Amino acid sequence: MSIPRAGQRKPGRVSTALARDRLGVPAVVFFVLAGVAPLTVAAGVIPTAYQTTGLTGIPAAFIAVALILALFAVGYVAMTRHITNSGAFYAFVARGIGRVAGVAAALVALLSYTFLQVGLYGALGPTAENLAAAHLGVHAAWWRWALGAWAVITVLGLLRVDITGRVLGVLLSAEILVIVAEAVLGLAQPAGGGLSLVTLSPADLISAGFGTFGVLAVVAVLGFVGFEQAPVLAEEARNTRRTIPLATFFALGMIAIVYAGASWAMAAHNGTGHVVAAAAQQGPGLLFGLGGSGSLAQAAQWLFLTSLFAAALAFHNVVWRYMYALGRENVLPAALGRTGGNNIPKAASLAQSATGLAFILAYAAGGWPPMTDLFFWLGTTGGFGIIILLALTAVAVIAFFARDPRGEGPWPRLVAPALAAVLLVGIVVLAAAHYATLLGVPRGDSAAWALPASYAVVAAIGLGWGLVLKISRPQVYGAIGLGAHAVTGQLSPAGEEAR
Amino acid sequence: MSYTQLTGTGRLADDLYLMAHHEVTGKPLLHPRAVGLGLAGALLAELVLAGRIQVGPGGVAVAGAARSGDALADSVLALVHGEGQRRPARDWLLFLARTAAADVARRLAESGYLTRVRRGWRGERWVPVDAECAFVPLARVKSALNPYRPLNVHGAALAGLAAACGLGSRLALYLPPKTGRALDETVRRLDPEMRELIAQTQAAVDSSLLSHRV
Repeated sequence: MSIPRAGQRKPGRVSTALARDRLGVPAVVFFVLAGVAPLTVAAGVIPTAYQTTGLTGIPAAFIAVALILALFAVGYVAMTRHITNSGAFYAFVARGIGRVAGVAAALVALLSYTFLQVGLYGALGPTAENLAAAHLGVHAAWWRWALGAWAVITVLGLLRVDITGRVLGVLLSAEILVIVAEAVLGLAQPAGGGLSLVTLSPADLISAGFGTFGVLAVVAVLGFVGFEQAPVLAEEARNTRRTIPLATFFALGMIAIVYAGASWAMAAHNGTGHVVAAAAQQGPGLLFGLGGSGSLAQAAQWLFLTSLFAAALAFHNVVWRYMYALGRENVLPAALGRTGGNNIPKAASLAQSATGLAFILAYAAGGWPPMTDLFFWLGTTGGFGIIILLALTAVAVIAFFARDPRGEGPWPRLVAPALAAVLLVGIVVLAAAHYATLLGVPRGDSAAWALPASYAVVAAIGLGWGLVLKISRPQVYGAIGLGAHAVTGQLSPAGEEAR
Repeated sequence: MSYTQLTGTGRLADDLYLMAHHEVTGKPLLHPRAVGLGLAGALLAELVLAGRIQVGPGGVAVAGAARSGDALADSVLALVHGEGQRRPARDWLLFLARTAAADVARRLAESGYLTRVRRGWRGERWVPVDAECAFVPLARVKSALNPYRPLNVHGAALAGLAAACGLGSRLALYLPPKTGRALDETVRRLDPEMRELIAQTQAAVDSSLLSHRV
């Protein structure tokens, strides 16, 4: 016997209390920016990208890619409202294209985020090495510092510490302030006396042929990685219809302006013709030197270290959450989906730590340069994987709404995702064809085909495993992509109508 | 009253509370949010077992509004009754989780199981009066998981809810090996209503974990 009360419009105690608990736009934006780690990109990725690719169109690429990602986000946030587990790319692919493709996407995502996380040790090590040598008089090889950072991240992962709330807010705000300050100071003192707009012009995107854009786009997407995380909080957001889209678009716009500004300032300050050589010589100092070598540069270098650390921890947490969700669904071994005391998923967290350790030791033993071969190569390859997932997700959005429009208009469910899909697939093809330029190696170098091919390998494994599940374990197959809701079999967010 | 007589209150949420907190220090063994969600599930399960609410695809509905004499159960029922519209189980779990731990602790204290202890500047904490009584619910779970016994609904629901909020590894510590399998099979013998409630509790705990809030 239920007691319906027709006509009652006043929100009940439950609604009011639950709404108070939920997250607003600023909280979601902070969460997104934490994964984006602005200073890691501005001081780490941009100078290394100038150096290895030798291309100067990076500022224009940030703007172009922001527009493409905004186009992508239109359909992405629209679909977020209609599915559960919407924080994970593979959930979109599983619900849109099919569950077999979903398993392949899951493995591609896992590999991408693993590359992104492991790559950060390649920047953490040298940065700590240089800072310690310059300020503390401590001299130790980069990999010793990387191992130190790895150990701290392993322990924090096992204690399940997320750097959240106030600490993160302060760090992030400081990072953005430093980037803006350096950029403004750099632009105030342009090389040759006049401010050059060349690097911001669309023509610079294809300066060395059409393939240039593919290479630049991968670098730019790498800078934006993390923006896709907003839907993770969809179930916690105050208003699913407004909070997640607003936070996503706001974060995209803000990141685009900060990055384009910073990279433009580097080119303008050093001279467009000299920025590549300056990047090779100065590394992260390319950003810190914009405002002279005073206390701002000093503070920026320490902040760069904390930014790298926060990013490495954030991606560590992203990777184990992916593994945990896949373990819950029994797509990966169920042990990854179990928690110990305090609800800590030890197995998933330790698995990612083991990968990180293996990479650091391999690079140390091989004597390979960490900043380019570990940080930039694996970072960009992670970014490349994210572009593959973005393209797949755009297609999945179209397929999902093609079966049932669910009240969405033609722009979010068809036009925007179709345009995004075409552009993203184009970037994937161009980047794959010019991967050697992206890595800064001669054509035919084994890294230039092995790194992008790794995605084809895991995708093939995923497709095979998905088919095996379909045939032999229909119950597991049926729950692919549901994440936390695998146990309830719920396809759509609970209580959506109630909000 | 001698402590050895503390053999449980016979209420699901009380048993789960004792399982989810350290038997001596009274510290939670799980993340506070997971404890809250598990206890919220147990409070709803108590009402389901008493036939006072129904949990279904359409949400949680009142099935019998008679008072029981247990103030906490009555207050939860009054909340469900007073809410204008039927709400999904998930909303109730999230709502009740906010205060469930404190509410259940107070109820256990009234029954003589917990006592309030000052810990200097760190404030106060509920501590079990007798460490032994924390193991009574574990024994209940152990006996419920025995496949050769008839279904014990209280024990089976307790086992399901405990695993749902993350106590699986603790159960594995005290119970014979292969407990996981026995647990799945026992839970499968429960009513669909109770199974749904357990699954919803598990999903709520998992989603807070995946959305970085646990």
